[in-house]
Formats: sequence, structure tokens, C-alpha cells
Amino acid sequence: MSVVETPTTRPAAKPPAAHVRPPKKSRNRTPWLLALPALLLIAGLLGYPLIRMVVLSFQNMRLRELLSGRTPPWVGFDQYSKVLSDGVFWAVVGRTVAFTVASVLISVLVGLGIALLMRRVSRGVRLFMVVAMMFVWALPQLVAAQIFRWMTDSDFGVVNYLIDKIPGVDYANHSWFVNPWQGWSVITTLVVWAGIPFLAITLNAGLTQVPKELLEAATVDGASPWQALRNITLPILKPLIMIVTTLSVIWNFGLFTQAWVLRDGHPEPSFQTLATYSYTQAFGQSRYSLGSAIAVITVLLMLGVMVFYIRQMFRIGEVE
Amino acid sequence: MVAIAPTVKVKRRRAKADDGVLTVGRSRAGTIAANTAGVVFAVLMLFPVYWVLNTAFKPADEVLALEPSFFPQHPTLDNFVSAFKAPLFLKDMLNGVIVTLLAVAGALVVGFLAALAIARFSFYGRKAIILVVLVVQLVPFLSLLIPLFLMLQSAELTNSLIGVSITYLVLILPYTVWTLRGFISGIPRELDEAALIDGCTRAQVFWRIILPLTGPGLVATSVYGFIQAWNEFIIINTLNSPDKQNLMAWLLQNQTTRGTAWGPLMAGAIITSIPVVIFFLIIQRNIATGLTAGAVKG
Amino acid sequence: MKRKIAVAAALAATLLGVAACGSNDDDAPTTSASGKVDGAGKTLKVWLMVDAQTAWKGVVDDASKRFTEATGAQVNVEYQQWANHLTKLDATLAGSDVPDVVELGNTEFPKYVFSGAFSAINPGDYENSSSWLQGLKGACDFEGKTYCVPYYAGARVLIYRTDLFKSAGIAAAPKTYDEFLTDAEKLQAASKDPKFGAVYMPGQYWYAAMSWVKSTGGEIATQDGDKWTGQLSQPKSIEGLQRWVDMVKKYSKADPTKNENDQANTFAQGTAAMFYGNAWEQGSAEETKKDPNDPNSVLVPTKVKGKLAAAPMPEIPSFLGGSNLGVTEKSQNKELAAQWVKAFTDSTSMAGLVKANALPNATALLDKAAADNPAIAPAALAAKNSWFPPNAEKWADVEKGAVLQTMLTDVLTGKKSVADGAKWADDQINSTLNES
Repeated sequence: MSVVETPTTRPAAKPPAAHVRPPKKSRNRTPWLLALPALLLIAGLLGYPLIRMVVLSFQNMRLRELLSGRTPPWVGFDQYSKVLSDGVFWAVVGRTVAFTVASVLISVLVGLGIALLMRRVSRGVRLFMVVAMMFVWALPQLVAAQIFRWMTDSDFGVVNYLIDKIPGVDYANHSWFVNPWQGWSVITTLVVWAGIPFLAITLNAGLTQVPKELLEAATVDGASPWQALRNITLPILKPLIMIVTTLSVIWNFGLFTQAWVLRDGHPEPSFQTLATYSYTQAFGQSRYSLGSAIAVITVLLMLGVMVFYIRQMFRIGEVE
Repeated sequence: MVAIAPTVKVKRRRAKADDGVLTVGRSRAGTIAANTAGVVFAVLMLFPVYWVLNTAFKPADEVLALEPSFFPQHPTLDNFVSAFKAPLFLKDMLNGVIVTLLAVAGALVVGFLAALAIARFSFYGRKAIILVVLVVQLVPFLSLLIPLFLMLQSAELTNSLIGVSITYLVLILPYTVWTLRGFISGIPRELDEAALIDGCTRAQVFWRIILPLTGPGLVATSVYGFIQAWNEFIIINTLNSPDKQNLMAWLLQNQTTRGTAWGPLMAGAIITSIPVVIFFLIIQRNIATGLTAGAVKG
Repeated sequence: MKRKIAVAAALAATLLGVAACGSNDDDAPTTSASGKVDGAGKTLKVWLMVDAQTAWKGVVDDASKRFTEATGAQVNVEYQQWANHLTKLDATLAGSDVPDVVELGNTEFPKYVFSGAFSAINPGDYENSSSWLQGLKGACDFEGKTYCVPYYAGARVLIYRTDLFKSAGIAAAPKTYDEFLTDAEKLQAASKDPKFGAVYMPGQYWYAAMSWVKSTGGEIATQDGDKWTGQLSQPKSIEGLQRWVDMVKKYSKADPTKNENDQANTFAQGTAAMFYGNAWEQGSAEETKKDPNDPNSVLVPTKVKGKLAAAPMPEIPSFLGGSNLGVTEKSQNKELAAQWVKAFTDSTSMAGLVKANALPNATALLDKAAADNPAIAPAALAAKNSWFPPNAEKWADVEKGAVLQTMLTDVLTGKKSVADGAKWADDQINSTLNES
């Protein structure tokens, strides 16, 4: 099993020439001038709002202040203590985390499975799979969510109709959002369904980087397909899996559209995520400061994952 | 709100579709089983897409039938006509196009310059800029909505296409910088140097070598930006009133007090998705063409 | 590093500075609608809800025409969707280019009045103001002044299938609540369809549930000085809630997580015998627009065409829903705006609304409305025995927070008992209404 020792650590097909002669660091002003417009825009529309968000979370801004333009009263850490001492908030956090873990795990496993399956099927079938996935991938998130809302409608939805066809099962007028577990399984299905194309196609592309000779040699040596997968394929694929998993975590943690649309723009408490919760507090209930405090906490919660992602990007040499 | 694809994926697409497929030790039965699984998977994936199409071509009474039919009994284009005639549909479509084009064009220009700096220069602060670009890509944009809203409002830019365009520009900018950086550093530096030796100026190198060679990259990046901006609805829905929104926001609200009109909604969804699907297919092709395709012609 | 600090300081200065230039306008003058205003060359921006566009656009156009003739100003009406109009209103009102006239649901008004969004008006300037429906006007009152003008109302009635009533051996609409239940029992027994429910009552239809609460003398919340107290867990309220829950569980097959927005469409499928809706919903159930996006679309008859009738829901006081019109505080043309509101709410306009199956804004007009338009007679009757939600500044937040809807779904699906659900809702209402 000496073959196992040779995984390429760099899955990206990198143009080799780019590194031939790293030029000396210059004190030239040109690069800064080039980057300046982008940096200014980022500072103005991402950096400044970020600061303002933090400032806002220490004030108490309501509709009255919004309409009159008056300075909202300063309240120190009141918004935070209000949020952090609220059981509802912690339930939302727990729900968001649980959903993220479950949906990412399912998406990545299914995505990997499909990627492997794509290596095994005939060319025509593979093409069919890719085309199907492309369509799903290309669908705007909102449209996808609307479709699922329509399909799971309790009165006219095709899902109930089909399940009801199974003998002995009464799913006529079944409401999918009575039971949060069922409701969340609809949302998770939607998220996984929409996420698979990106994962499967990316991972499949990664699989093409696994040297064929290595796998063939292993098979000749009597390794089972499972052993080959575990000892050859997965180690080579690992950096890529890390990246797509981290990205999925970041996306799914910020779940908004799907919960929002499937619950018709007013998610019940059991369907609130951090994103919808912050949004409804701010824009629904005009508690702009409370919403900001929740957003600040959300960003802080995400920080660990972000740092991990950036470190990964540096490690696999994406950042040179 | 983060750009959907990391560069890893963009580059990886260069691999030929077929290489690396293992043929040793495969049974026929296994292949048949795999093929069946593949087809079942593809059909399941496509079912929701098929269901929109099915719904969109049904007349109103068939849409709201307790026993849904799997093909329209009396296929009709009424829903599409209805969507087009719907109040604000065309207006919001135009808004969407304007906002998206402004954002993409702006992001492309600004982003290209920044990408050039990162990819072609070595300078103090370069790593910091890269870090900023990576980090801001990850900040959940939605959480900035509140301050952004207040900020644009005090600049009198809420309820305007400009405000949203700038916001979208910034939304797609990090991704644009990041991807273009990948494309630019994919161009061998020797080309620059050879041209410099041949007497080209820095600017000429840029116009004759870097710009043409990043052509496909620019297309791919702008299309991705287009999709991001076109699909966005939360920001525009919060900042602007219905006559200044895009088609996504229109879709979100296409329900009257008298219930959801599913037929026209699904038709609207199809119309809204078409540009995205088309553009999506375009990038696939462009990325497959490869980075150095077309070589030096300037 | 120094530069960074400098930038941060500059930013902080802007942050603090920007907000400090508002003025305190608690003593803003009342906007008059009497007298003549020259509006030549001006254009008034009016935000109405989509109902006006779909059901009585003619009335709007006529009022605008009369207004233009009188003042010379033009009118630009924009129609808003209910789904997200408040968020949009916030965004717009915060800026300076604001609509001059805004329609809001009566339960949405207090929050905006309290927040200083609307200008005080002089009720005497408007026709029928002495008998404005209290359910609408209540939302306009704040600290002794009036900040909006009642526009129209809708009261809810029992809409039922005459054919099914006949085949179940029921001669007339129920006169008492007990009769309503016996009829439901008969109708349910007469059908073999497992999807059939005698009553279609979606679970998050809180206007209905609260009407039942009112029917036993219950209350949602009451005010004592500055403090609001949720009353749903009081015995009388529980009794009414229980009454509603028992009825829904027994006779309704509707989705407990849906609200009433789709009820006419769903009812049109023929799987229910009765529903509780606005008077105009009878029409929407019998005929659907071929093109739902076109106000002038051809109407297509549904399965229940010609088989429906309406009657007041016996012993259940109706929720009085409706809208008011306000002149925005930031408007540059307040007097003109008030003139337009005056034209749009005068007796001529009200007669037009009655024709379009809406209820007029004043009790003085109700009897005439019932006589002129038999279709709304039951609703006009129901409106006389009607209720409206607590007139609390933050009531809109309770609605936005979906407190009652959530409680109803929880109770109907057995997740909470009626008592626990009511207790939970009271807690939410208390903390929302009394929030500083």
C-alpha cells in the first residue's frame, strides 16, 4: 500500500509559470492606486456599515428615530443583555446550528456520493446527470423556494397528492409545517437539492485529479473499492472537501430565503433562523438596534468558520 | 450572499470530462446498477423543474385542481401573457437589467484593477488586501442590511436604482477581484517580460497581453456577477418600493389579497430564470475553453 | 495606524453627527382641508393598497378627477401590496421624497401615528366625520388629536353552499350559534368525501378566532393607564377560544398553518360547505379572474358558481377590518393632500365603494349601503356588531410578530393546550405592547 503515500496536496491545476520569478517587493505606488477604488468601495459599503451596525447595537433605534432622524438614545449593552437572556434567541441559535450541521452533512455526503457515481456511469448517463444538475444549479434561489412552496402546498401540492396515492397512507390536506421536524425536513430537502449540483460537480472535477494509474494499481494489488476510496481518493480530495464544506457551512448558516418563502414571509417561531430573526426584529418590529445586536452576534459566531476557511485557502496555495 | 463558486472550481473545470475514469475491475451489472441510479437521481433532481413548467402551461382551473394532472390537459400561454401584463412586471424587468448591468460593469472595472494589483505586483500590504477581499466575501451581507439601509437613506439613495446598483457592485466585487486575480496570474509572466523587452510600455502590455488573455475570464466573472445581482431580492425589496424593484422582488410579492396566483407566478419564475440559465450555460462553455485559449493576438 | 484612527474618528463623527439634526415636531399644526388651495403644476403622490386597484379603481379615478378640477393639481396613485408594504413605507418615510397620502390598515395606524409619521387633521373638514366607524377612527386618535381619515371597512360574514344546505335538509342560514353547529354536523354527515369539512377555517385566521373570543365576552388586551395587559388567558377569553378550537377541530379540514388569504380559492374547490369571510369573498369564490393580474379580466365561473349565499355569522361579533388614509408629516403638499382625502372619502366616493362591495366609513351610511347593495347587507349588519383590536401603539408589532397566529396553530395541532397557548400569547402581548 505504498501508493497511499503520494497524494498531491494541491488539487488545483495551477498555472506553473506564474511562480517562476517572484519579483521583489516594491514600494511602487501603482498597485495601491489600482486597488484603491475597490478598497474605497469596500470600506464605504462594507466597512462603514459594519461599524455602524456595531454602533447601532449600543443604541435603541425605533421607528420614531428612523422617521425623525433623531439620534437614538444610547443604551450600552442593553440590547445584548436583552438578546442573550432571551430563551427564544438561544432556541434560534440552536436551531440554526442544528440545521447547518444536518444540512451540510447530508449535502456533502450526497454530493460526494453523486460525484463518485458520476465516475462509474456511462458517458450518456453522466451527461444527463450534469444537465439535470445544471438546471437546478441555475435556478434562482427564490424561484426554487417558490417551487417547493407550491409542491408542498397542503391543498394543491403535488407532494401530498403523490404520497396520498400510496395505499393506506392518508396525506390529503397534510400540512407540512405543523410539525417543525417535517417543516425543517422540507427546508433541508430544498437546501440539499439546490446545493448538490455545486458539490457534486466540483467534487467530480476534483476526482478527475486522482491519478487513474494509482487506482488501477491498487485494484490490481487486490484493494477493495472501499479501501481504494478511503486510502487513495479521499486523502487526495480532502483539501477540496474542506473548502466546499466550509463554504456550505457559511451559506447554510445564513439561511434566509428558503425559510422566508416557504413560510410565506412570516416564519413562525419554530422556523426562525438567525438571519430571519434579525430581519424580522429590525424590519418587521422596527427594533433596528436589537436586530443589529443579533447580526453582530451572528457575525461573531461565524468568525471561527471564516478564519478556518481563510486558513484553508492559504494552505492549499490558492493564495500565493 | 457570498459568491457561489470559489475559484477552485473555476480552474478545475479545465480537466477534460473523461480523463481518470477507472475501467479496470468493473462489472457489467455494476455499471447497469450505477446507470440506473444515475438516471433516477437526475429525474428526481429535475422533478421540481418539470413541475414548474407543467404548472406554468396549465389554465387557471387546472392549476388549482385537487387532483393535479401531470401534463397540462389544455396547454395555454395565458399565464405568461398574464405575467407580462401584470402591473410592474416589465418595469421591474427593466429595473433589474439596469441595476445588474451597472453593478457588473462597475465591479468589472474596479475589480479588474484591484486584481491586477494583487496578481502582478508584489508590494507591502498585498497580503492584507487579499485578506480583506477574502473576509468581506464571507460577511453575511444580510446582517449589514440595517446599517446599509440607514446609510443609503441618509444619502437619499433608498428607493433609487443607483443606491441598489452600488450595493450590488460591492456585493459582487470581492468575488470579481478574487476570480480575476486567478485568471490574471494564470497568464505566464514571461509574456509580459518578452513584450517589455520588445519595447512595449507597461500600459501596452496591459492592453495587448493581459486584457485580451483575460477575455474569457472577464466574461465568466461578469456572468457570475450578473447572476448574483439578478437573483438578489432581499436588499432591493427592503430598500425600494415596487416600481423600483427587480423581477425577483416582483416574484416575491406577486400575491394579491385574494390568494397566490400560482399559474402566473410559475410563468413569471420561468421568465425570470431564463436569462440566468442561459448565462449559466455560457460560463460553462467559456471556462471549458480554458484560460490561455486564443493565445496572443494583440 | 495613525491614519486608521483618524479615519475611524471621522466615521464616528459622521455617525453621531448625521442623526442630530431632526427637529421636535410634537406641536406641528393641524392640516386643514377646508378652503381653496391652488395646486396648479403640483403632483400629489398617493399610496393606496392593491384592493383599490382591483376592486374600485373607478372611484379613485373619479375622486382624483374632481380633485384636479378643484385644485389644478395632478394625482399620481401607486398601488401597494399588503405583503411587505410596511417595510417599504418605513424605508420611504425615512427619506425626504415621501408620498403625500398613505393608506394603512386600521390596525397598522397607531404605531405610525405615535412615531410622528402623520400630520394631524381636522375631522370637521370631512363628510360624515361625526359618525365615522369607531373601529376605524380609534386608530387615528392620539393625545386628543386625529391623525387619519377612515376610508372603508369590511366585516366578515358566513358564506355557505345553498345546494349542500338543501341536500342536508337545512332550510335557511343558521340564526343561532347552536344552529350553526347542528347544521355543520348535518353537512358533515351528509358527505362521504374524506377531504370534506363542513367549515373551511384555516388555522392562522386570527380575525376569526378572536371574533369567537369576543363572542363569549373575552378580550385580547386591555389598557390601564399606560400599561397593557393581555386578557386571552382570562376565563371568558379561554371559553371563546375553546369554542372556536372545538368547532375547527371537528368540522374544518383546512391547513392549521395557513391564513385566510387563499380561502376563497380553496373553498371554490367544493370541499367545504361554509366559510367565514369578507362579503366580497363570496364573489371571488364563485368566479375567478381568468388573468389574475388583470383588473379587467374575464371572469371564469368556478365549481360553486351560483351556489353561494351569505348571512351574518350568528352570535359572533365581526372583526371590523378596514383602512384609513393619512397625510404624511413630511409631505410638501399637506393641504392639497388633505383635499384629495376629502374628495376620496366624501359621500360620492363612498357610494362608489358600496357598489364595489366595500363598507362605507361611517355608520350613517351603513343602512343606505345595505339597501343599495344587497350583496353587502349581511356585512353591513355585521359591522354594527363589530370589534377591533387593541388600539395600542405597538399592536402592529404583535401582528407582525405573528403571535396570535402561532398560538392558534399550536393549539389546533395539540402542541399546546388552549390555556397554555393563551398564557403564552398573553406573555408575548404584554412584553410587546409595554415595551419601552
